[in-house]
Amino acid sequence: MLDKSELARYERQILIPGWSKSGQEKLKKAKVLVAGVGGLGSAILTYLAVAGVGRIKIIDGDKVELSNLNRQVLHSDKDIGRDKVDSAKEKLEVLNPQINVEAIKETIDENNVFDILGDYLIVDAMDNLPARFLLNKVAVKKKLPLFHGAVYGFEGRATTVVPGKTACLRCLYQGVIPGKIPVVGVTPAIIGCIQASEVLKYILGIGELLTDRLLIYDGLSMKFSEVRLKRDPNCCECR
Amino acid sequence: MMNVTIKISSLFRKFTDGQEFVKVTGNNTVECLHELEARFPKIKRWLYDKQGNLRPQIWFFVNGQKISADDLTKPLNDGDELFFVLAISGG
Repeated sequence: MLDKSELARYERQILIPGWSKSGQEKLKKAKVLVAGVGGLGSAILTYLAVAGVGRIKIIDGDKVELSNLNRQVLHSDKDIGRDKVDSAKEKLEVLNPQINVEAIKETIDENNVFDILGDYLIVDAMDNLPARFLLNKVAVKKKLPLFHGAVYGFEGRATTVVPGKTACLRCLYQGVIPGKIPVVGVTPAIIGCIQASEVLKYILGIGELLTDRLLIYDGLSMKFSEVRLKRDPNCCECR
Repeated sequence: MMNVTIKISSLFRKFTDGQEFVKVTGNNTVECLHELEARFPKIKRWLYDKQGNLRPQIWFFVNGQKISADDLTKPLNDGDELFFVLAISGG
């Protein structure tokens, strides 16, 4: 049940058709893991927190650096040197004291990923492909949805994976070209908000998900386009 | 030969003088790429690895549908749109 202050806090979104108090209660009971507290993670976490997702788990093994601050808006100068998960948890609890945030300072690997992810919905806010593949592996094995986003400069992408029904990340990716990735903060902010929107819609059961669709954001020409994906019958992960 | 429009994603437009759409002729994706490379040679090193193979990090779409490596030599139709993007992973 939602208490009086929760009803007041979420009043405007409860007005959205298909949302209602029961939808807000679904959010309160929901469990979402956000892997990565960088540029994407900052936007995703901010909006999942203020929307009232009841249990949020965040995982990141890095510490805040000065070069993060052009895009990772959950951190600021005074956080430099702190664990990113601690910095993020502190901000999120200020943004919404009525949710539970669990911070895990670890780098995910083959040995810990299944235990850490548990039965949480998975949001992919990582900055490297091997880690994304680990999340995808757990999502496919446990049949948990995976909300994917990636950025490069002014360009971003997003798609939603529902294992057993849609293409997975392994159907899509055969590697990325190595090197330092250029990025401006507005790009992960936009893509992160799209990922957060997907999570909310999934939990609420409203709207149309980005399943088997890749949304491509081109910030330079300010255009969104979309292409269709399909499962790879020879996929090493989900076939 | 089919008339095909190649849509150039933002990351590659610096190699096509800023053009978002380039019209080429070819019977399949590989042939269309050859014409694109001939007109904009700098794009080549992004499309192919050192062995001259198309990079697996490039995703190809025909009329908005992702195609596999096996489809690159399949016939295209007149008026088709070919689109390719670089796989990215920044967060």
